[in-house]
Amino acid sequence: MAQIEQSDGGKKKKGAQKKMQIHVDFTPMVDMNMLLITFFMLCTTMIKSQTLKIVLPTNEEVKKEQQNQAKASEAFTIILDTEYGDDNNPKVDPETGKTIHNIYYYEGIADTTFQSPKYLTKEQFIGNVNHQAQGIRKILRDKNKEVMAEYDDLKTKWKNKEITKEQFDELAKKNSSDSLKTRPVVVIKPGPNTTYEGLINALDEMNINQISRYSIELPSHTDTVLLEHYAQQHGETIIRPTIR
Amino acid sequence: MGKVKIKRKSTLIDMTAMSDVTVLLLTFFMLTSTFLQKEPTIVYTPSSVSEEKVPVNNLVTVLVSSADKSGKLDDKASVEGKLFISFTGDADSTLSSEKIRSMMLEEAVSIYNQQHENAPVQLTNKQIAEFSKINMFGVPFAKMSDFLNMSITERDKFQSDLTNPAVGIPINDNKNRQGRLNDFQIWLQAIYNVAQRINNEQSASLSPEDAKKLQNLYGALMRQGQGIAVKADKDTPFTTVHRVFDNLQTMKLNKFSLMTALKSEDEPTN
Repeated sequence: MAQIEQSDGGKKKKGAQKKMQIHVDFTPMVDMNMLLITFFMLCTTMIKSQTLKIVLPTNEEVKKEQQNQAKASEAFTIILDTEYGDDNNPKVDPETGKTIHNIYYYEGIADTTFQSPKYLTKEQFIGNVNHQAQGIRKILRDKNKEVMAEYDDLKTKWKNKEITKEQFDELAKKNSSDSLKTRPVVVIKPGPNTTYEGLINALDEMNINQISRYSIELPSHTDTVLLEHYAQQHGETIIRPTIR
Repeated sequence: MGKVKIKRKSTLIDMTAMSDVTVLLLTFFMLTSTFLQKEPTIVYTPSSVSEEKVPVNNLVTVLVSSADKSGKLDDKASVEGKLFISFTGDADSTLSSEKIRSMMLEEAVSIYNQQHENAPVQLTNKQIAEFSKINMFGVPFAKMSDFLNMSITERDKFQSDLTNPAVGIPINDNKNRQGRLNDFQIWLQAIYNVAQRINNEQSASLSPEDAKKLQNLYGALMRQGQGIAVKADKDTPFTTVHRVFDNLQTMKLNKFSLMTALKSEDEPTN
């Protein structure tokens, strides 16, 4: 391929010039191309980051009368916490390789009398195991089961190509904010040790479980009291002094 | 018996086909590549199931540096929570990144000078032009002039040394919009003002097509919450990130996005 043959029409004449073979060596060319490919491969970002949209309220002061109060029956509070190891880095579960985040939740109004054994329950982000929601996901799913039932229906329809992706998105959005259904109002309270990942995990659960009403707040004094009591009861140290 | 002739074979391999393949691959990579933007520090974002892509155009990225992971520093938290901002405009020339950056800088400096009449920041046109070429920056206004006088390599070196107290946009827990704003809030105010101005004034004098392009920025910032993306490390404490959120809330830019990596989840069957 890389040779050019010079022939002179086939007839051999006397004193005809010898056949010339021009051979071009492409090896250096290939070398150079490989180098360039390597360069471009290393410099490209093939995987693009994703974004998680978030809407927070403004910091302007709102009068007490204007504040919306969530119904006690719908309220669901989760307090986040991240476990720290001895080296002051977030503790990593050796099996899964993920940071250990703990979740403490209670339903309705905080029970400061500690009468009910469920004044605070500990959970973890487990996600799905064998296609079944586990941990906090299962609890949130049960809380939002009316919405999730329809959401699953919609998903099946979409999987069976009965509706398009756009229709699915629109219907899912409508479904998640359907005021006729019983929907929880989740208050996410990241504790002092929570890492950013813990918060993102919690927001992710909101997305997965189609919870449209949630807010992020700092833990109140009541929450601290609950956590301290829980720690005493279970012999755990939840609120560690901030090392940083 | 005849002699067994050993045929001499040439060891030359024809590289033409190989060359063709490599050129094809090269073309592919050249066309699909978007270069990694230079960032002063590397952060590993947490993962989420959200499938929304980061917009390529009209984006303000706020990078929050993480604690030192290399173990070289004794006080690893000292480099944590430093802020860097990057502005990306439209790929189109109407509102290119360069133009957006210089608009933002001029607006931010004028806000700063209103608040700090005793020590105003004066920038030359050359310095503003220099700023428009910088992808990501993180210096207080007081150091801006010195920063812009540096060469590119000096700037990179300066910014990558996070232990330097002059690196990172100053931020505090100021909740008062009317009082003296911190540097980060001034930038946010500048983003807000520029977006508003683009929306109100400029669109009137432009052709409908251009006006629409300009509105994209405004729309991205104000309505859809895609204009501002916060990028932080997964191990950064929430309190550090919360301070950034809090400032965004104070400056009424309460719709924004958080940068995450994609996580795959197995689907529940029930």
